[in-house]
Amino acid sequence: MRRLVPAANPLVLLAMGTLAIVASFAVRDLRTAAVALGAYVLAGALLLPSPRFALARFAAIAVASVSLVSSTWWLGGRDLEVALTAGLRIVVLALPGAVLAAFVDPSRLADQLGQRLRLPARPVVAFAAAMQRFGALRETWGQLDRTRRARGYGPTRNPLSRGRHAASLAFALLVSALRDAARMSVAMDARGFAGAQTRTWAEPAPWTRADTGLLALGVVLAAVPWLVR
Amino acid sequence: MAEAIRSRTSATTRYRTVDLVTVAMLGVALGVVFWGWNQLFAVVSGTALFAFPPSSGLICGVWLLGGVVGGLVVRKPGAAVGTELVAATVSALLGNQWGMSVVVSGLIQGFGAELVFAVFLYRRWGVVVAALAGALAGAGEAVYEWFAYYADWSFGYQLVYLAFFVVSGALVAGVGGWALVRALASTGALDAFGPGRDYHARTAVSADHDQA
Repeated sequence: MRRLVPAANPLVLLAMGTLAIVASFAVRDLRTAAVALGAYVLAGALLLPSPRFALARFAAIAVASVSLVSSTWWLGGRDLEVALTAGLRIVVLALPGAVLAAFVDPSRLADQLGQRLRLPARPVVAFAAAMQRFGALRETWGQLDRTRRARGYGPTRNPLSRGRHAASLAFALLVSALRDAARMSVAMDARGFAGAQTRTWAEPAPWTRADTGLLALGVVLAAVPWLVR
Repeated sequence: MAEAIRSRTSATTRYRTVDLVTVAMLGVALGVVFWGWNQLFAVVSGTALFAFPPSSGLICGVWLLGGVVGGLVVRKPGAAVGTELVAATVSALLGNQWGMSVVVSGLIQGFGAELVFAVFLYRRWGVVVAALAGALAGAGEAVYEWFAYYADWSFGYQLVYLAFFVVSGALVAGVGGWALVRALASTGALDAFGPGRDYHARTAVSADHDQA
């Protein structure tokens, strides 16, 4: 059971997360909110490898939720129940997707997008190639940061100075990413990427029975608040 | 000679490899920026909360940069939506406080910017068009957030939020995105694209006619 989610099809994980948005639109009172959230928490408790990670994601969402509760209380007629419902609604909307996104592997996602959804191959491969450069981007960020500090352009403790530092690193990162893209596309075209007629894929994109089951579960979970409201 | 008489429309809509890879790479890099902004937003929106909650819309323009920058750089139909969608997806995969909702937001924001570029038939790339693209992206996103997040705010405050979001979209994403693309072009990183050619045309002219 607990290995279902890590092994699941990334399309199914994204669909379950997106269906949670549909579920959240049915949450209009505290009871529905409690039932909807309870169903998701129960499913998570049974299926996720470890609750610790989901709790960490919940902590981030709780900040957004608390801020929404107070703004809704203030700007929405000072009704505590309405405000609390709004706060719980965003937890229903965000938590499943935020937790499941961590189990999505970009390369497997691209395989599924290209072979199962049959999206146009060139944009899908470009997306996969860019996602593979993600680690290189992080490395570049570290190098830029160290270089600026070593040359005496590092930030002080002042938050404004830190902001300027981050902005200048982000600009340099964009330049580096664009140069990378130009270089990479030359390499791809040199291998016949632009004019390929019958394209092959390195990895298969299977759809298992477990995927069908998880997708059905996602639909049921999203339907729960619509049925009980 | 056959190369020379290609029709104009196919030249502007056909994606070269460098167009596709640049849309994807810009999306990934901006997705990381969005993710960083998510962290900052949690702090800043807490502060805005004690002042005046709808004003948090003012700092949301950063999330609209993808559509404006992608459109301005690649100048082809779909580039704005593509860049914003990839950026939103990356920020969702990195983990955030709104789950998959940011992917929906990304689609809406991307289409907002795309619509403006399409109205100008993908021929105008000035600062006004960029500001309009940012503004419409912001308007679309604000209306989505009325339903997804701020459904119980009274309508007046929702309108104020929309106004703040549109202003932020026009200034931060629109004018800011336009300035960012200009700055990127001056580094030579956009030489394969319209903004890079424009930059070289500008600097070549200024040598002859003494223009700044």
